[in-house]
Amino acid sequence: MKTLVIGLGNPILGDDGVGWQIAHELQQIKQIPSDVTIECLAIGGISLMEALIDYDRAIIIDAIVTHQVPIGSTNYFKLEDLPNPSSGHMSSAHDTSLLTALHVGQSLGAHLPEDISVVTIESQKVNEFSEILTPAVAAAVPVAIRIILDLLIESNPEKASKNDSVKR
Amino acid sequence: MQRISIDPITRLEGHGKIEIFLDDEGNFANSYFQIPELRGFERFCVGRQVEEVPILTNRICGVCPEAHHMAGAKAVDAVYHVEPPRTGKMLRELLYSAFYCTDHTTHFYALAGPDFVMGPTAPVAERNILGVIHKVGLEIGGQVLQMRKYGHTVVEMIGGRKVHPCTSIPGGLTKGITEEQRQEIEKMGRWAIEFAQFTIKLFNDVVLGNKEYVDLILGDIYTHHTHYIGTVDENNKVNFYDGKVSVVDPEGKRLGKYAANEYTDWIAEHVEPWTYLKFPYLKKVGWKGFVDGKDSGVYMATPLSRLNAADGMATPLAQAEYEKFYSTMGGKPVHQRLAIHWARLIELLYAAERWVELATDPEITSDNYRTIPTATPTEGVGIVEAPRGTLTHHYTTDDRGITTKVNLIVGTTNNYAPIQMSTKKAAQSLIKKGGVISEGLLNMVEMAFRAYDPCFGCATHTLPGQMPLEIVIRDANSITVDILKQYC
Repeated sequence: MKTLVIGLGNPILGDDGVGWQIAHELQQIKQIPSDVTIECLAIGGISLMEALIDYDRAIIIDAIVTHQVPIGSTNYFKLEDLPNPSSGHMSSAHDTSLLTALHVGQSLGAHLPEDISVVTIESQKVNEFSEILTPAVAAAVPVAIRIILDLLIESNPEKASKNDSVKR
Repeated sequence: MQRISIDPITRLEGHGKIEIFLDDEGNFANSYFQIPELRGFERFCVGRQVEEVPILTNRICGVCPEAHHMAGAKAVDAVYHVEPPRTGKMLRELLYSAFYCTDHTTHFYALAGPDFVMGPTAPVAERNILGVIHKVGLEIGGQVLQMRKYGHTVVEMIGGRKVHPCTSIPGGLTKGITEEQRQEIEKMGRWAIEFAQFTIKLFNDVVLGNKEYVDLILGDIYTHHTHYIGTVDENNKVNFYDGKVSVVDPEGKRLGKYAANEYTDWIAEHVEPWTYLKFPYLKKVGWKGFVDGKDSGVYMATPLSRLNAADGMATPLAQAEYEKFYSTMGGKPVHQRLAIHWARLIELLYAAERWVELATDPEITSDNYRTIPTATPTEGVGIVEAPRGTLTHHYTTDDRGITTKVNLIVGTTNNYAPIQMSTKKAAQSLIKKGGVISEGLLNMVEMAFRAYDPCFGCATHTLPGQMPLEIVIRDANSITVDILKQYC
């Protein structure tokens, strides 16, 4: 199964760079199957959808700020479980949500992954320029790596998806 | 006093917000357009090796990192007192032309499309990208994706990475292109010319063929008489990558042209207490407030400004469209803000033609793409035309090349005063005492700022990507009486 793992975020916006750090560490792990591509991206919406074209499965790693769980909490869910408030509209002055972009791509006949998982790390500082992660977020990096390896190496996404809300 | 707030919310960029105040009678009282900035970027760039800054600045924003990379690269060339060889300059401009095609295409189809293809008063459920695809057809939607793919491919070939290029260094680039790559780039560019021509035809059919839209474009609501700026080449034709910045007054008279290192002689910044962002204005004319006219230093920097500030386009097909544009609009300069959308498509065609021109130059595959710098670094300014306005990067370093000061004037900042004026005028014209404030009406206020293609930066990778426009209506005591939500 052709799989794309994306560390998503802005590497110079503090905790927003956690997805990149996790992706960089994953790139060093030899047991990862050869049909898995790992990338660091700082894009969203339409561009992110375009990056997913021709893959069967994707895992997106990103910082999240919910204020509902402790900083550094790691979570895992399916993309379709996220709400899509943009529902077909633009989500910023220049882009739309990934879910709407996927809908657009599918309408236009692009081959897009049916299975998109999201691994999130509850973050603290994502609005100030810095290349340093908050300590609690940095401590979550190995936890997130474990979750992603479970997804990739146990290679049973169906089974893994039942472990909804893996929280550590 | 009632307050109506149009408030797009995002995670990274903060949010742009229009606050509309009504008096006790329900009449328009005033409006304010606020743009918060990301905190501390210029400070973050201080204390770094200056050649690293063009890589950092392209992380300001996921919308036009290519523009920041190019302005930064030119500023670094100036810091090191080095001029890239002809091939180096052409490769950068080739990358930049392909990027322009991607950016202008996305704006027309995804951003302006819902307003013009679906109509400003179409039900909100249809006034979106999916509605546009449904109306123009799947085949055209597929071509939009193809155009974006070709643009990204050229950026990756020359810039080393899609979206966030990294190959420009002091004096040129880290690598050139092969003949095989050149052929592929040329082929994609020829396709882009056809796509641009088709897009202009679509604009003619759908927008100019509809009296309601034409009346909207020509109407007074979206008209302001300001100064205009834009970069021109030695023949005073529009250029996105290199040249001098031409400044024209509201009657079209050229006040002068400035080189990058002269920008502080021409541009100054005005401060207002209600917003963090400063308002740039023409120093030689002076700040007279948010007013139109020859005596007001307010200027605009957009695709329309570039056309107004130049004598024409440097490529034949775009020049023909340029002439048609001014003859249809009744002469030069054009002041109607919604005509920015049309000007953007003329630029799309120019960018595609320039793409092929550069890709077919015999020297484009030369190995002479870099001049090694030998002088001690000091200070430098780089200017390019970002899709949404003139972009200025100014770096100062110590003699080791470590940055001591970084100043950026980004495209949207240039347009802050005109956007404030346009949103105010639209709200004033449309919101009447006793009238119902509908979603369609608020969208027409939003259209006033959308024409400028404002960029609030860095909002592009938010999951789940939520950005509602929230309209809060408050009574005379600032108590919320109603909240409406809509999307762009």
